Amino acid sequence: MQESLYGIPVSWYLTVGAMLFCIGLFGMMIRRSAIGMLLSIELMLNAANINLVAFGSYLKLPTIAGQVFTIFVITLAAAEAAIGLAIVINIYRLEQHIDADKITAMKM
Amino acid sequence: MDIFGVTITGYQVAFVACAGVAVGAAVGVVLMPNILRAALFLGLTLVGVAGLFVLMNAPFLAAVQIMVYVGAITTMIILAIFLSNRVMRIGFSQAIYNPILAAGAAGTMFLFLFVTVANSVWIANVVNAEPNKVDVGVEAVARALLQPYVFPFELASVLLLAVLVGAVVIAKEDP
Repeated sequence: MQESLYGIPVSWYLTVGAMLFCIGLFGMMIRRSAIGMLLSIELMLNAANINLVAFGSYLKLPTIAGQVFTIFVITLAAAEAAIGLAIVINIYRLEQHIDADKITAMKM
Repeated sequence: MDIFGVTITGYQVAFVACAGVAVGAAVGVVLMPNILRAALFLGLTLVGVAGLFVLMNAPFLAAVQIMVYVGAITTMIILAIFLSNRVMRIGFSQAIYNPILAAGAAGTMFLFLFVTVANSVWIANVVNAEPNKVDVGVEAVARALLQPYVFPFELASVLLLAVLVGAVVIAKEDP
């Protein structure tokens, strides 16, 4: 690992990533609406992306793998958001709300 | 620049600015009672993270982040909010679960992660190589995507096609 890149140690990025992840976790736990939960998931995915790119760039021989993995994560995030929002719109059309607690149509 | 005997570089100032925007806007995302404002704050968070990518020698990724995340995903979320617009009028206390318990759990998680990061010792010198000799620009990303990672790359295109069809089928008027 390199000591620092442009005078910034790797632990700073890891701390920002941990902050974003925990804020996303907090949002995931307090939100009732399904769209609010999706927003929190995006925050957590971004925290993971920061860590991937940081480790990729801070190696003694910087590797491109961190950036490539991040591109795949962004692709998957776009796919997940599209499907999730389609489901949310469908649920809204059926039940006139998107409160995750009250969606019980598939409960036994 | 010297402040109280500590040398501060311009890069560090840029890091603190980008990280501050990202984390501050993330707090806005989870605490805004109005879900539309939360979505707009998410866009701001993603711009801050793009700035961090630039500082980490990943300019192409920053461009992808701005175009795909800020340009496409945030727009899609805002459109979905408009299509289910009753959520915009819910008050904060009805919109959330017990925040104290959640803050305790998330805070414990952060404390654990922070202690782990702060106590980690990274191996300094595994290979005898000059640092920063490997190109990490756009061309390197293209080479990596089409040579060692070509199979996941093609798989991602199949996934996107499936998502395209699936989203249309799920959101269609007549099930």
